Amino acid sequence: MKFKGKSWSMLSLLIVMAIVASACSSNNNNAAGSENGSSPSSSASAPSESGAAPSKNGNNPVIAVNANFITLDPHNTSDTLSITGARTMYEGLMGFDDNMQVVPVLAESYEISEDGLVYTFKLKQNIKFHDGTDFNSEAVKVNIERILDEKNNLRFRKSFAKVSKIETPDAATVVFTLSEPYNAFLNKLAMGLMISPAALTEFGTDISKHPSGTGPFKFKEWVEGDRLVVEKNPDYWQQGLPKVDSVTFKPVPENGSRIAMLKTGEADFIYPMPTEQVAEVEGDGNIVVDKIDSTIVRYITLNTMKKPYDDLKVRQAINYAIDKDAYLKVVKSGLGAKLDSTMSSKTQFYSQQPAYDYDVEKAKQLLSEAGYPDGFDAEIWGENDSESVKGMQFIKQQLELVGIKLEVKSMEGATLSDQINTPATPADAKIQMWFVSWSPSSNDADGATRGLFSSTMFPPAGSNTAYYKNDNVDKWIEDANKATDPETAKTIFADIQKQIWADAPWAFLGVDQVISGKRNNIEGVTVLPDGSINILKAEVK
Amino acid sequence: MGRYALQRLIGIVPLLFIVSVLVFMFIHLIPGDPARLIAGKEATLEEINQTRVLLGLDQPLWKQYLSYMKDMFQGDLGNSIRSGLPVTEMMKSRFLPTLWLTLLSMAWAVVIGVVIGIVSAVKRNKWPDYAGMLIAISGISIPGFWLGLVLIQIFSVQLGWFPTGGIDSWKSYVLPSLTLGAGIMSMIARFSRSSMLETMREDYIRTARAKGLMEFVVVGRHALRNSLIQVVTIAGLQFGFLLGGSVMVETVFSIPGLGRMLVDSISFRDYTVIQAELLLFAAEFILINLVVDLLYGVLNPKIRYADN
Repeated sequence: MKFKGKSWSMLSLLIVMAIVASACSSNNNNAAGSENGSSPSSSASAPSESGAAPSKNGNNPVIAVNANFITLDPHNTSDTLSITGARTMYEGLMGFDDNMQVVPVLAESYEISEDGLVYTFKLKQNIKFHDGTDFNSEAVKVNIERILDEKNNLRFRKSFAKVSKIETPDAATVVFTLSEPYNAFLNKLAMGLMISPAALTEFGTDISKHPSGTGPFKFKEWVEGDRLVVEKNPDYWQQGLPKVDSVTFKPVPENGSRIAMLKTGEADFIYPMPTEQVAEVEGDGNIVVDKIDSTIVRYITLNTMKKPYDDLKVRQAINYAIDKDAYLKVVKSGLGAKLDSTMSSKTQFYSQQPAYDYDVEKAKQLLSEAGYPDGFDAEIWGENDSESVKGMQFIKQQLELVGIKLEVKSMEGATLSDQINTPATPADAKIQMWFVSWSPSSNDADGATRGLFSSTMFPPAGSNTAYYKNDNVDKWIEDANKATDPETAKTIFADIQKQIWADAPWAFLGVDQVISGKRNNIEGVTVLPDGSINILKAEVK
Repeated sequence: MGRYALQRLIGIVPLLFIVSVLVFMFIHLIPGDPARLIAGKEATLEEINQTRVLLGLDQPLWKQYLSYMKDMFQGDLGNSIRSGLPVTEMMKSRFLPTLWLTLLSMAWAVVIGVVIGIVSAVKRNKWPDYAGMLIAISGISIPGFWLGLVLIQIFSVQLGWFPTGGIDSWKSYVLPSLTLGAGIMSMIARFSRSSMLETMREDYIRTARAKGLMEFVVVGRHALRNSLIQVVTIAGLQFGFLLGGSVMVETVFSIPGLGRMLVDSISFRDYTVIQAELLLFAAEFILINLVVDLLYGVLNPKIRYADN
């Protein structure tokens, strides 16, 4: 017979089909039934039968997140989730507490010289990496040198670019010498996590798949796209921690599925909690929703070098014309805070500014004074995700009331980035308004200011898409960096925020909340204001 | 027959070559700068430029293509621009879930679809026909995204029979393959119905009946076999599409498959991953087409391919 080869494979295919058909047919009936019943999913929040039963996952909680881990190389992370992953296994000399304030972790104590150039750290003793080797000053040196090595092209290199010398007088002391004072250096050290030098030698660039740090959890398994599992480090230096045997992170991109996992108990903790579902689960006794203000600020940049936005009155008018309460209600489902400075209240050296209270008449009057009594035509850019589109539509409706006719242009992220960064000079820039957000990666005031408002940071060099230029602000940003005493830095940053707020290069909108959901038997898992998850004190009750 | 298949297989090589050129050109032409996206929003211009040099993206396009082809002939698809992981490894781990999902969805969809099609054709304009077509219409018109979430709500949240997603056991695949197969089942049901109806009007069916053959033999042996050709065409096409990974089902059910990987890599302009995936899809499609052509021969001796 001609088709011998084919016929057996067809036969096996048929067998597979038959098996599956028998397995599926019963469900199929049910599926058809559900179509007819068409029970809307939102009404079906009946109390789950599990009641107050212990966790489905025992002492191994599962955390569902909305994205994939990209890398576990702690010196090369740029997305918050990868930073979360790295922080479960790695620690730095400094770290962040739950409010994102910098605190010593592997450092016992530190001293900063009068001129702000020399940082001397005493290290904690008797700490070992997961591979059994000692954590000491030499390990710190190896790590910082790895970051600084241009050949490695690691994303953290610029954070340490001002380090000119590292000395290790003894095993418990590290001395950093900077080329110029850098106020945010402690924050940067909190981001610079320590890898075992032995593991670095052994695995080289493959370290991403063989993490070895000093952290509370050890690496167990990473299946790209499916899960990251970390297990308890029994020799962790903080007594009594961690309290769980392992933690599994699962990327679950769809909001509805993530919340379903929380309801069934497949996940013990989810982040982010979809805002539109918060009200629905708030009646469910098994689920607890946590909200805190984040470091993520939302705003619209106004191109201050372009007409008509070069007129301060126009920029003020736009700020007065937007009802920030309505913005929070419409765009953020009521979850968030008004932005009352150039940075979030959680960010270092934040200083509150007087609000641009919603006032249509005042906005109209300012526009008339600026010579636009009937408003003007304008264009707003933003990404094409549903929140940005909704936000831009909202702004369009608001500005229409004062006569500004807005055209909404939503673009795919990478295309938009190209549009913004292609013009080489401010004169070439086509951008008028940009609906966007920012969050400083190490929560330092410099990170929330320099890239956005320094005139050295016009695109493509930085993110000053308002093309904001104020000589005082430029100078203050440099001064603040050189200020060795935090109080002085704080005063300077207060001046900076006050000046920028008055100049209104942005339409200031809101501060996001980070919202997480958990089963009521989970304790100690927290989301930091930057959206990273801290599992150090995770506990199952 | 064997030679025909071999010839077709050899023909794949130039075809894939053309596809590779097109894919390479297209993804480099779409706007977006991977170096900038990968260096991160706080990166300095110097860092972005260094990233570009390191990725080889500062080279002229033809040079990039040549080095890409050179690596590919050595079996190296490169590393992901974004994560630095080897693309081959990523594709391997992503392919299996997509393959399983495809096989399971196709399996039930074909069996149930053909059965509904036959019943509807045989009982034309009677209640089984109406019921069958009602199912088919619903299957096509219900958005998969919605169906998926409803299935999760009922079978995972309320009844607790199946997990909400993931790839941990065979149970994880039940709801996603139901969701993914629904549309295909409906399409196949409608096609096999109309194809059956057409065949039933043929002379040889009248002859078979005139010979006094029993109705199920007429339907089963003569009508069905001849109408399956159309069904095989449709099923083959759908099979090819599904192997590309369904973004929607993979997203709703958190399955780490090829579809989600493609979308993720496009938003980061991860050129190496996009190229590798698109090439894989092209190769899959070509192969499936070949299999479909050969199946025609199995079903209908008149279309068997001569070896001379």
